[in-house]
Amino acid sequence: MTAAIVAEGLTRSFGAHRAVDDVSFTVEVGEIFGFLGPNGAGKSTTIRLLLGLMRPDTGSITSLGCDPITDSVALHRHVGYLPGELAWFANLTGRVILERFAGVRGLQETTYRDELVERFDAELDRPVGQLSKGNRQKLGIVAAFMHRPRLLVLDEPTSGLDPLLQDSFARLMRESADAGATVFLSSHELDEVQRVVERLAIIRDGRIVVTDTIDGLRRRAPRRITLVFDRPTDPAAFAALEGVTLTHADDHEIALAVTGPMAPVLQCAAHHDVVDLTAPPTDLDTLFLSYYRDDHDDD
Amino acid sequence: MTTELAPVHVARLDLRERRRSLIFYPLGLAVYAMVIVALYPAFKDDSGLASLSEDNSTLMALFGASGSLTSPVGWVNANLYTNFVPLIILLVTIGYGASALAGQNENGILGLVATLPVSRTQLVVAKITAMAALAVPVSVTTMICVLIGRSFDLPIGLGPLLGVTVAIVLLGLVFGALALAVGAATGSRGTALGVTAALATLCYLISSLAPAISWIHQIRYVSPFWWATGAGQLGTGVGLGDIAALVGTTAVLVALAIAAARHMDIS
Repeated sequence: MTAAIVAEGLTRSFGAHRAVDDVSFTVEVGEIFGFLGPNGAGKSTTIRLLLGLMRPDTGSITSLGCDPITDSVALHRHVGYLPGELAWFANLTGRVILERFAGVRGLQETTYRDELVERFDAELDRPVGQLSKGNRQKLGIVAAFMHRPRLLVLDEPTSGLDPLLQDSFARLMRESADAGATVFLSSHELDEVQRVVERLAIIRDGRIVVTDTIDGLRRRAPRRITLVFDRPTDPAAFAALEGVTLTHADDHEIALAVTGPMAPVLQCAAHHDVVDLTAPPTDLDTLFLSYYRDDHDDD
Repeated sequence: MTTELAPVHVARLDLRERRRSLIFYPLGLAVYAMVIVALYPAFKDDSGLASLSEDNSTLMALFGASGSLTSPVGWVNANLYTNFVPLIILLVTIGYGASALAGQNENGILGLVATLPVSRTQLVVAKITAMAALAVPVSVTTMICVLIGRSFDLPIGLGPLLGVTVAIVLLGLVFGALALAVGAATGSRGTALGVTAALATLCYLISSLAPAISWIHQIRYVSPFWWATGAGQLGTGVGLGDIAALVGTTAVLVALAIAAARHMDIS
């Protein structure tokens, strides 16, 4: 595979605030790449850098082999962009907007656009200012996909969509990727991302804290173990083990998050009278939230 | 795929969004201009008005009137071309100039348009094209009304009238392009509006007070209003120098707007 996006050491500040700080990642052609992080983490700024809407202070980015600043026209011809806070010309209808957008793109074939309009039941004949958030979002989806772009840059794409349409949208992303398009999917919700992406990066406070596949993340995820004892037990012995964090302790029960090897924990447990042991399946949500908080510094 | 026409499509989006301005400003101005034109026969022999304008030249200058108010050119200048028409054109062009890049960026529309296959230069060209398309109907409608004035004892020379019609559009473009450039440089619609409106007011005062105050008269050439209608062009005709100054200033400001737009952070 070749790379659709290569970002190296991207840094961009606004005044004293470093919105994006030394961000590097690579997205392969045909891949659905998740870009996760809490609100304000630097996701939208990264997107603006990769689309050439802003210039980085330092670092470089190449999208579809183009420099987004100097080759913006060539790049944008093959890009479909759905912004996070989607705003439209309030007095215009969706039909007029799509016609003009198609005009700018030199797009005459409307079959796929019509198919998308039907699929998402997009409202084209009322002024956009009168539409609900969901209906404006549907129009944004049609505008982003109608020219079958090679790179889709989607910022919180399913906000405002009901669950059925979210499913439809996930299928549309899948189909586009299967047809060879690259999808850069930014979101603050793990649910939106984990069912469609192969690989993701998590960004917090402007820095990438982890880049991995979903499976890789699952392997990294701390395993939760709850031990129940028949007598009061001092949790210190467990807390002292490498890769073990004490998440809960009372007289008879200890809950641990284990990121290291499991054997020392079991050996330690064997020295006490354990009456019950539970270890639920790996919880990606918990891992994800831990990356959102300060638990993983400069991983 | 060809995108040479891309700026036209972008301009059409903005014009369609503002189609009410496109219709109602010229319509409103036509009504006003027709009233002015139709009132002329009632005032042309009014000696009180004539002496008012002759005895209070500074006060009258403040309102854009100089010379005889009761002559055809004096009447049309004082009521239309040295104040009201430029005001309306500037409302249209400065308002649009400030919102076309900075305003649209503030409300999030510009990001969608700027990620279409259109360069920043083409984007500015589209905005200036739309600006001209908003200003031309206002100026042309006024011209038509003044031409109709020939049936109301108001003979204005066709050449000077055509010249002023063009000059006043260019005057609008000068300040509209300034608003566009300030907006692109600062990213703020409010700043663009404020800076441009303040400069336009200053330039208006320089042009209108020049006939009455001698030290202002010496600096009258810095004001684009002077190049368009301030020097009595409705009577004497618009000179090539006037047009060159207006076109040249617009071109410089458009170039500055392009430079600013190329470095603009779009969100």
